Amino acid sequence: MTTAGLSEAGQRLVEKILEGQPAALSRAMTEVENETGHAAALLAAVQKATGRAVTIGITGPPGAGKSTLVNALIGEYRQAGKTVGVIAVDPSSPLSGGAILGDRIRMAEHSHDPGVFVRSFASRGHLGGLSRTAGRVIDLMDAAGWDIILIETVGAGQSEVEVADIAAIKLVVSAPGLGDDIQAIKAGILEIADILVVNKCDQPLAEQTKRSLKAMLKLKQSGSQDIPVLGTVATTSEGLAELVSEIALQDEKQRRGDNLVDRKPRIRRNLAEAVGQLAKDRLRQNQSADIDALIVALESGETDYLAAAEAVLDGGQTNREIAATRLEKKTGS
Amino acid sequence: MNSEANLTRPAKVLVTKIGLDGHDRGSRIVAAALRDAGLEVVYTAPWQEIPTVAKLAMEEDVDVIGVSSLATDHLLVPKLMKELHKAGLDYVKVIVGGIVPDNEEQDLLDAGVARVFHPGSDMADIVGTVQMLAGEAQNDTARQL
Amino acid sequence: MSQNEQFALPGFEDWEAAYNKQLPDGKTVRNRSGIEVKPMYTPADWDVEEYGDKLGFPGTAPFTRGIYPTMHRGRTWSQRQLIGLGIPSDYNKRLHRMLKAGTSAISMIPCNSIYRGLDADQIDPVLLGTCGTIINTVEDMETCLDGIPIDEISTALNDPLPFTMLAQVLAVAERRQIPWTKITGTANQSDYISHFVANHMFYRLALPGSRRVLMDHIEFAREKVPNWNPMSVVGQHMQQAGATPAEAMAFTLSTAIQNAEDCLSRGMELEDVLTRFTFFFDISVSFFEEVAKFRAGRRIWARIVRDRFGISSAKAQRFKFHGQTSGVDLTRQQPLNNIARVTAQAIAGIFGGLQSLHTDSFDEVLSTPTEDAARIAIATQNILREEAHLTDVIDPLGGSYYIERLTDQMEEEIVALIDKIDDLGGMYKAVESGWVQGKIGASAMAFQDRITHGDETIVGVNAYQVESEVELPVQPLDRPAPEDIEAFIENLADYKRRRDQSAVDRALDDLAEIANDNNRNTFEGVVNAARAGATQSETIAVMRAELGFGQPLVVA
Repeated sequence: MTTAGLSEAGQRLVEKILEGQPAALSRAMTEVENETGHAAALLAAVQKATGRAVTIGITGPPGAGKSTLVNALIGEYRQAGKTVGVIAVDPSSPLSGGAILGDRIRMAEHSHDPGVFVRSFASRGHLGGLSRTAGRVIDLMDAAGWDIILIETVGAGQSEVEVADIAAIKLVVSAPGLGDDIQAIKAGILEIADILVVNKCDQPLAEQTKRSLKAMLKLKQSGSQDIPVLGTVATTSEGLAELVSEIALQDEKQRRGDNLVDRKPRIRRNLAEAVGQLAKDRLRQNQSADIDALIVALESGETDYLAAAEAVLDGGQTNREIAATRLEKKTGS
Repeated sequence: MNSEANLTRPAKVLVTKIGLDGHDRGSRIVAAALRDAGLEVVYTAPWQEIPTVAKLAMEEDVDVIGVSSLATDHLLVPKLMKELHKAGLDYVKVIVGGIVPDNEEQDLLDAGVARVFHPGSDMADIVGTVQMLAGEAQNDTARQL
Repeated sequence: MSQNEQFALPGFEDWEAAYNKQLPDGKTVRNRSGIEVKPMYTPADWDVEEYGDKLGFPGTAPFTRGIYPTMHRGRTWSQRQLIGLGIPSDYNKRLHRMLKAGTSAISMIPCNSIYRGLDADQIDPVLLGTCGTIINTVEDMETCLDGIPIDEISTALNDPLPFTMLAQVLAVAERRQIPWTKITGTANQSDYISHFVANHMFYRLALPGSRRVLMDHIEFAREKVPNWNPMSVVGQHMQQAGATPAEAMAFTLSTAIQNAEDCLSRGMELEDVLTRFTFFFDISVSFFEEVAKFRAGRRIWARIVRDRFGISSAKAQRFKFHGQTSGVDLTRQQPLNNIARVTAQAIAGIFGGLQSLHTDSFDEVLSTPTEDAARIAIATQNILREEAHLTDVIDPLGGSYYIERLTDQMEEEIVALIDKIDDLGGMYKAVESGWVQGKIGASAMAFQDRITHGDETIVGVNAYQVESEVELPVQPLDRPAPEDIEAFIENLADYKRRRDQSAVDRALDDLAEIANDNNRNTFEGVVNAARAGATQSETIAVMRAELGFGQPLVVA
């Protein structure tokens, strides 16, 4: 890895990030979020300092009380003397591209605390409950030395499984009465859970919700019945101590010999994002004869999109050849 | 998008209320209008403390802060400007919207507020101004790498 | 539609043809509540046979035409101007001047710091006394009311839960040996639900605590301050926050239902309590709609009391309300135009049959109202009453085909919303879940859209703009003198040194205990704290610590 491409100001910024200066972290986050020309080099420069933080993803349907739970978790970790970074993602308007980022309203009691750093992101059209650059932003926060990183997903009710790639510990939050049953929790989400949290546990039907969740877990693949189902009342911090110790238990299991967390899933996701973006950018700009040939082949139905995409990515042979081979294979079989 | 605004990325704006008053209809309407114009708006509950606003602006790396004041909380804005300066956030543009008497508007402008909007202001004017100011803030040399 | 088919209307078709010919693309007109308004109304729109059931006579159910037999012919309305600025002695001086100018009831607005539950030594001095009077201690209250016959004049207090201002007034009464039975007036800001829904200005306890403290206050007042109106149900905040007039009326009535039910659960005698319910509304410039809103509200409330609560007493069914002209309609552009707006709003309120009226000063959008502007606001009321003779006839718009039809339509709209809230489990639940807030937010946005698109004309803002604005004839408002504020803060420190600290500590400890004991009355504890010399902030802090603080529910 090299930090080449960083200006002097960029290198100073990296130093300040590693010293833990919040303003520097914030600046870098903007570069990464907007994928500026400095983003990649900044990220490379801080990689070695990552792997320390406990990254906790919080997902679940709207109305489950995710922001309030995040607020309560901040309180617990602050009491234990840990510093807490929060990444909160809100949806962008599909029409205007704008967004109202209001998650931090529910974390207002910690706003003035220098041991808490909350950053809001708009999803900018990215699906999966996160912003596209969320994984890379976590790297920055991790390197800046924040002990705990809480990642709150959009919570629009769609399958928000992406958080599984970037958070080491995934909390799936539900609450009583969100649907007729637990329909609100889509099966896909349930599968990523390390801990299931039933929030608003002081409400009627809380026990029933917990029971149905446990029953659903039993139907899944073996081992999933070991996933703990915990009850909380985030507004009063009831059940938070148990949640925090369960997180600690799981975190301990995930630590390697050097006490660092294996970040490979996060890196793989970041790489996938980077490859996807680069491929798109390159392809849009690419005026070469090879690509033109592929486009012609697609237009005439000689090849299909999957085959063509593979042809573009498997750069060894000429795209034309690959396209032809793929088509041959398909028609031959 | 305002063509005069020299934006290098989506504009990020903090819409907030400081001091004692809690009437938030105006700030909500402005926040929604900014969102509908494609801006990213960090929105807070009323009664923010001044140091908190500065910390929030820093964490969120916003381009513009919009302070809504319907009572007399605008009297605190000069203190906010000092706090932003102290935090090294001079590039952040501040606008104030609400009920500000004429003789106190100048005090705010003197303290570094970019613009004061009064009741009945044209929403397109507010949005356009915020975009323009956000473009200036994004291109401030202090923020370049 | 309750069109009366039998009614023969010779010539109607000719008129209709002529109208359509001259106005071929006449556009659909809707009022702020979304009700379509026709170009003309006729006897076909309202069935006079329904007179007895729907209107009755002033003072008789369902009170559509007014709650008292004599209405404004007898007692007109209380001219209640909200005032409050600076330090207590400023307030007292201004109060004496206002009384001389014709104000017949007093009101008190404390400094915003008090709404937040903070004393003068806890906030930035630059804000102190800029929005209301700083009243921290019983001594401050004594200064405010110096020379004011509080046993003869009714007092409206902008005093949110847990009612520390009333506690101080009661303590002042004791010092002057005035029995509490002589204290009359209204707790203007007792409606915690409206604060959660729409007005974050007032500090609050968390919802469950608020619910209990209000009931304690009502119970205490019924026992010990029998001429005090402890419950003012406030629609004003909701309409100011963007609710349509129909929504504001519906949400207010649903709040009143919720509070009545809570009183019942507490074992109070509802018939007695309801005689002390009052209402407080915004009067917008949407003239006929406002008149119809008030007429419909009176009728619906009387029927709710009769049918839902089974109370037949006319006294309990009466819908007594205070109206305040809407500040939202006023414009900064061409500010003197606001006098015309306030006049139209005030007439709507008077024709709507109000019991008490506040007219806004034309300069409200420019700053805290100046005294000259406040005088014009009062004069407006006097002119309407005595020069324009608006009070000669009771319910003068009654019987207008349009007004009666519109009253029916507003009623339908309002009742449908009340039914919806019933389905949600009542107003408390509907607010707890954010449903009401969402509804109001959506209406506020929709109205703003109408202004932006020019569907709603606002003179001087999106139409009839002028190049050069008229210079205001009044001087800009002076902020409280810094030396006065400094002296006030020093005096507060001095007061804290002078008082019997152990008595204060005992009273506050007891208050904390009461807060945790549902069998005791919190307001009793608040009154004792005021007597013992606790400040507003000290009292409120105890309540907040024990009952929790209600974070504003912000629904984006």
